[in-house]
Amino acid sequence: MDAAYEAKLRADYDGQSREDVLRDYREMLRIRRFEEAAARAYTRGKISGFLHLYIGQEAIAIATQQVMEPGDRVVSTYRTHGFAIALGSDPKACAAELFGKAAGLVGGVGGSMHFFDKERGLWGGYAIVGNHIPVAAGHAFASQYTGDGRVTLCFMGDGAVGIGPVHEGMTMAGIMKLPIVFVVENNQYSMGTPLKRTLPVEDITARAAGYGFASDRFHVTSVQETRRRLGEAVERARKDGKPTLVELITYRFRGHSMSDPAKYRQKEEVDRWRLNDPLERTLMALKTIYQVPEAELDAMDETIVAEMDGAYEFADKAPAPAPEARFDNVMAEGPYYGDSATTRPAGVE
Amino acid sequence: MATVVTLPRLSDTMEEGVIAKWRIKVGDKVKRGQVIADIETDKATMEFESFDAGTVLKLVAPEGEALPVGAPIAVFGQPGENPDAAGAPAPKAEDKPAKAEAEPAKAEPAKAEPAPAKAASKPEAKPAQPEAKAEAAAAQTAAAASAAPDGDDDEDEEPGPKATSQGTGPQGQVDRGRIPASPVARRLAREHDLELGQIQGSGPRGRVVKADVEQAIAKGPQARPAAAATGAAGPVPTASQAAGAHAADVDEHGRPYISRPDRTVKLSQMRKTIAKRMGQAKREIPHIYLTMPIVMDKAVALRAEFNLSVDGTKASLNDLVILAAARALRKHPRVNAYYTDNGIVERGDVHVGVAVALDDGLIVPPVRFADQKTLKQVSIDVRDLGTRAKEKTLKPEELTGSTFTVSNLGMFGIEEFCAIVNPGEAAILAVGAVQDEAVVEDGQLVARKRMRVTLCSDHRVFDGAESAKYLQTLRKLLESPLSLLT
Amino acid sequence: MPILQIRQAIRDAMKEEMERDERVFLMGEEVGYYNGAYKCSEGLLDHFGEKRVIDTPITETGFAGIGIGAAMCGLRPIIEFMTFNFSAVAFDQILNNAAKLRHMTHGQFGVPIVFRGPNAAAHMLGSTHSQAFEHFYAHIPGLKVIAVATPYDAKGLLKTAIRDENPVLFLESELMYSVKGEVPEEEYLIPFGQADIKRPGEHVTVITWGQGVPVALKAAELAAAEDVSCEVIDLRSIRPMDEAAIIASVKKTNRAVIVYHGWPNGGVGGDIIARIQELAFDDLDAPVLRVCYEDLPMPYAENLENLILPSPERALAAIRRVTYKR
Repeated sequence: MDAAYEAKLRADYDGQSREDVLRDYREMLRIRRFEEAAARAYTRGKISGFLHLYIGQEAIAIATQQVMEPGDRVVSTYRTHGFAIALGSDPKACAAELFGKAAGLVGGVGGSMHFFDKERGLWGGYAIVGNHIPVAAGHAFASQYTGDGRVTLCFMGDGAVGIGPVHEGMTMAGIMKLPIVFVVENNQYSMGTPLKRTLPVEDITARAAGYGFASDRFHVTSVQETRRRLGEAVERARKDGKPTLVELITYRFRGHSMSDPAKYRQKEEVDRWRLNDPLERTLMALKTIYQVPEAELDAMDETIVAEMDGAYEFADKAPAPAPEARFDNVMAEGPYYGDSATTRPAGVE
Repeated sequence: MATVVTLPRLSDTMEEGVIAKWRIKVGDKVKRGQVIADIETDKATMEFESFDAGTVLKLVAPEGEALPVGAPIAVFGQPGENPDAAGAPAPKAEDKPAKAEAEPAKAEPAKAEPAPAKAASKPEAKPAQPEAKAEAAAAQTAAAASAAPDGDDDEDEEPGPKATSQGTGPQGQVDRGRIPASPVARRLAREHDLELGQIQGSGPRGRVVKADVEQAIAKGPQARPAAAATGAAGPVPTASQAAGAHAADVDEHGRPYISRPDRTVKLSQMRKTIAKRMGQAKREIPHIYLTMPIVMDKAVALRAEFNLSVDGTKASLNDLVILAAARALRKHPRVNAYYTDNGIVERGDVHVGVAVALDDGLIVPPVRFADQKTLKQVSIDVRDLGTRAKEKTLKPEELTGSTFTVSNLGMFGIEEFCAIVNPGEAAILAVGAVQDEAVVEDGQLVARKRMRVTLCSDHRVFDGAESAKYLQTLRKLLESPLSLLT
Repeated sequence: MPILQIRQAIRDAMKEEMERDERVFLMGEEVGYYNGAYKCSEGLLDHFGEKRVIDTPITETGFAGIGIGAAMCGLRPIIEFMTFNFSAVAFDQILNNAAKLRHMTHGQFGVPIVFRGPNAAAHMLGSTHSQAFEHFYAHIPGLKVIAVATPYDAKGLLKTAIRDENPVLFLESELMYSVKGEVPEEEYLIPFGQADIKRPGEHVTVITWGQGVPVALKAAELAAAEDVSCEVIDLRSIRPMDEAAIIASVKKTNRAVIVYHGWPNGGVGGDIIARIQELAFDDLDAPVLRVCYEDLPMPYAENLENLILPSPERALAAIRRVTYKR
């Protein structure tokens, strides 16, 4: 470890307690191990469809969880496992969802892209890029309408900022002064296309002025810094009813999805970013600054690996949804047998 | 314990892969997340980061060889461990990709294929000949009957589709046996045991529609299939015999003529009354009919003159006849009468009933005290009664009380006719058309407007001579009509 | 009984429901200070204030999405589209969010929301402003689709829509906002999924809804002059659909003609025919015919537009065809 790196590390962790840093590390590691297990299950054919991993971005979910008050909402994208684990969703239910099982977070009907856990503040789970921005604004509108004091944190990728609904949702949030924080997780690539080819300006938060938002923009290198600055935006939403646009500069170490070999970037680039991986930095801090014994860290890792392996084992053995489960939750009235005689199952009428 | 590393599925469509290059060798210590191989998938060559940690005991898969997803490619473990103890050569069943499980289902459509082919080669009957349609229809009848001996009324057994399968040969010849029919027509025919081929279709391109089948149902058993028509008495007729029994009922192409069913129309109250009273009259009253020609030239001229000079109404010739008939009745009270077993009642008043035809029947409202009325008043009364009769706004008391009736069918070109006496009266005057006729007068042939009236009377009340006298009086009044204006 | 226009019946329904339930609010372009592009929200801003009658910028995706997000939080939004043609801009919100959220969240969320506004061709508005959207929305499980043709139906069904727990697409007609009719003073609700026989008859079932209703009724009148008696069924509720009413009528008449606004391909008309042939095949005496738009974009020119729109005369021709009268 070179001296400059260590100096920066010590500065970043100045004033952080050993317990807090250990906690942040453990929480981030839980997400990473969950995601790695998901990748393995995918390679074994246990998970189908799309699988987008959060590896490299874990600190954002952990910091978000730490700035939220009960009742606050996270609205996110198809890269949402990290938020579920961070907000306390049961890894068993998360894994079962990936496996399309009845015990899944949403009964196996959503899959990887549609994690919802209302009780824990996870309000989606949206997979049409950008179409959740107006919806999240609607949650914030409801808070304003009812005066419930809740804040909505709406996440999107850098690839989303060009699409129409983002503009419309933000325009309305600005006009209505809604208690909301829009967070762009800029992981450098809109699928395989780098930011400089999808955005006319480098700084996404340049847009904030156009909507009358406050803004913030920084590299995510640690949980504590992300927590502090996201916290300010949340406070602004809650106290002043003013939206903030936050750009978090981060990196995903995996491809866009499992089938993406990520040929569009160089190994050197990945290695460079790895130096800034918050998980890796936290581990270094624990070892160098807090002198946590390696055995303790290994034991923590093993416990987490066991937890996640257990979750996937549970998911593997869990029963698939019952055939009649496909009629559930289509309409509020209860089981839905189709409006057309052609889809009406035999024997129902 | 040793761990078997299997070929990962790196895309949702990947079924096999190739180790392009191993990045590790036996004896290396591998960390979780370390790239251990480059793997070629169907989409790309991807770095494979290890999910497992340990020492490489064995590299099972050679570089460059295509392997199925899930195949063992390496074994990791503790240094010195026996790699084969991990059972590397056989991939674990549970690690098979889900894709493989779906495969058996693919076999099913293939299994089903022979069936349609078999069905296509099955038809026993040859396609019907186009030039012998009647025969073909008969053949279908017979075939349909024999094809469903158990009376199975399964939908597939109905005549239409049956004909189709017979008409379409294995070489895919044009379908000649299909009888176009609407679904409800098919159902009705089936329910009433009728042969669709025996029903003439009135819809587009000869489609048999519901109305056609309903007619066939009303017509009775002719259209029933031959088998159903079989009686116990005689030998079973063949299909052609059955068709021949009604040879006269087919046109030159052998197609049956359209038979329309009888229609029962409910009796209206009026119809019931007419039926009752006319039946009673014809049963009880011995009718006698005398016809008298009357020259109407003066009456016609008078009427024209009257209509020119009198405001408030327009008189018809019939009004003149009514007035004349009424005045004549004053002179012949026996004609204005009715029969009872206790005696003949000669009526004091003269109320002349005027027969008014309606859509379904007729009514006879009287012109009351017609003998005392002027032509103008009679004319007004008749128009009013006629209009209100058609509007059905006459009061019950305005419909009864006639003592004599005038019925005029002249407007239809009827020369003369016999009417039925209304019960309760002694006579009815049936009036024909006024026509230009050649008449011999004083040895000269002259053109005259002539009308024939027939007095239809109750022989019980008076005899032919009295009837003739009445007609003479009537003729005098009409041929010298000025007195009618007094 | 008071006589109201459809626009007034709609306003009264919204007003009553907003008075009854604090969670109900109205949002859309020009609904507030302008009193509604077609005056359906006249006076509501004055009565309820800016909090509950909300003018928006021209952002169909934005305010449709805000409505959906608010509904997920328990509010009951009424979203007005100035015309349903603009709902195309918000189609993704309706298709992928409103219709799907209850399902894809496994019932954690519901979306009790009403999208309402005028639908289909009005008069000489050109191709982009003359389209019928029930055909798009009726395709989607998770939605309910309603179309109204009388003030009575408009009020009773809109109140039901606002109280429904599901997303409801409520289709009105610009040309029919002034149609008058009796509306009871006392409160009433009309349940979804019940067709209304607007004219009983014996020989031909004429199935219609929304802007098709007056066309069908006029055609039935013309047919009556030819001694053909038509039973005009106003579906009112397109999804769910009152199959029972359609089938009962077709079993009686053996014939059906469907009169509606919209194109022939892939629409509700074809769907109704599918149901009829499936459930009443053996009762049909003639092919079921559709009288709708010609399969063309709507031109501005009046004569061309009239050729494309379903007319009583075209409906009569179809009625003659199914009764085998030339």
